[in-house]
Amino acid sequence: MSAMGRGASPERYTAVAILLHWLIALGILALIVIGLMMTQLQATIGPMETFKLFQLHKSIGITVLLLAVIRILWRFTHKPPVLPADMPAVERGAAHGLHWLLYILMLGLPLTGWAVVSSSPFNLPTVLYSLIPWPDLPVLPHLANKAAVSHVLAWVHAYGAWILIGLLIIHFAAVFRHHIIKRDGILLRMMPSRRR
Amino acid sequence: MMLRSLGFASALLIGGAVSAHAATWTIDAPKSHLGFTGSQSGTPFSGEFGKFSGTIVFDPANPTAGHADVTIAIASAKTGDQQKDGAMPGSDWFAADKFPTAEFKATSFKTTGQGAYEADGTLTIRGISKAVALPFTLTISGDRATAKGKVQLVRTDYGVGQGAWSSAQYVALDVTVTVDIVADKTAP
Repeated sequence: MSAMGRGASPERYTAVAILLHWLIALGILALIVIGLMMTQLQATIGPMETFKLFQLHKSIGITVLLLAVIRILWRFTHKPPVLPADMPAVERGAAHGLHWLLYILMLGLPLTGWAVVSSSPFNLPTVLYSLIPWPDLPVLPHLANKAAVSHVLAWVHAYGAWILIGLLIIHFAAVFRHHIIKRDGILLRMMPSRRR
Repeated sequence: MMLRSLGFASALLIGGAVSAHAATWTIDAPKSHLGFTGSQSGTPFSGEFGKFSGTIVFDPANPTAGHADVTIAIASAKTGDQQKDGAMPGSDWFAADKFPTAEFKATSFKTTGQGAYEADGTLTIRGISKAVALPFTLTISGDRATAKGKVQLVRTDYGVGQGAWSSAQYVALDVTVTVDIVADKTAP
């Protein structure tokens, strides 16, 4: 710890950042799988299971929102490790741009999902994991044209999800390129540490 | 000996006359259950009303003269599922703020068999009143009466389930209400 000076960039992300990254990754993966199932496979899985998947999707979505808020606050207050010195400026820009787009979607998708639920004409209370009551966003539950608003928000949420899936594919491709092709060890900065 | 028998016979007669008189019974709510069973997407769920009260005037010898008045605190409906329990008092379902009570007013009883009766009356939920016949069995022991019965209702007859819930697409329209009432004789 004391080997590097104060304010110097560490070699790895902090343990908190690493934990948050992988928890959020797990959450997003679950949200994408559940989201696709509950919208594309309703006929196969049946109405009651679809209903349950929607409730689980809401629960995990709010969890990811809360984790993403902590992650971003942590990111602002803790320096991430520096990128390799020989990395071209274009790639640095692409890496930063992609990461900030991912942060924006990590907040934006749960928020639009929350808005879909808040404006839903079903007027169902949200109870996270069937245990924790969660409020609706303001204004939306009291709109006169809820159904139309909810429909548009659901459309935004769905297209946002497809954009996220696209960005994640680019994210995985970059990991593959760095780890398998360039073998620059950049992935290890985000892996749980082994005892040294 | 003769006198004693006569006295006994007259006591029986008087006793018979008293029991034939319509008594007033008061529901013992903590010992009673007022339940309901519905179905969401083919999966049954059930719940109970925790708060209700009522009195029944009933004479097994003359059921048609009987009557009953039961008031149910609609917001006391609980299924144990927070989401359903949060939704039920809302404007789509019971609209408990506008219609805090449901009421069953029986105006007559009729005998349908040995210890079996039917209460004919009006059920009011959400301010909508419909005629309802509630069949039940009755056992009386001393000053305690137990009535058990059930009746099937169509929730939309009473406007329970508005907007997206007004069809049977997600929640079945049929709801079974089960009655398990214990009442104490409070007036002879």
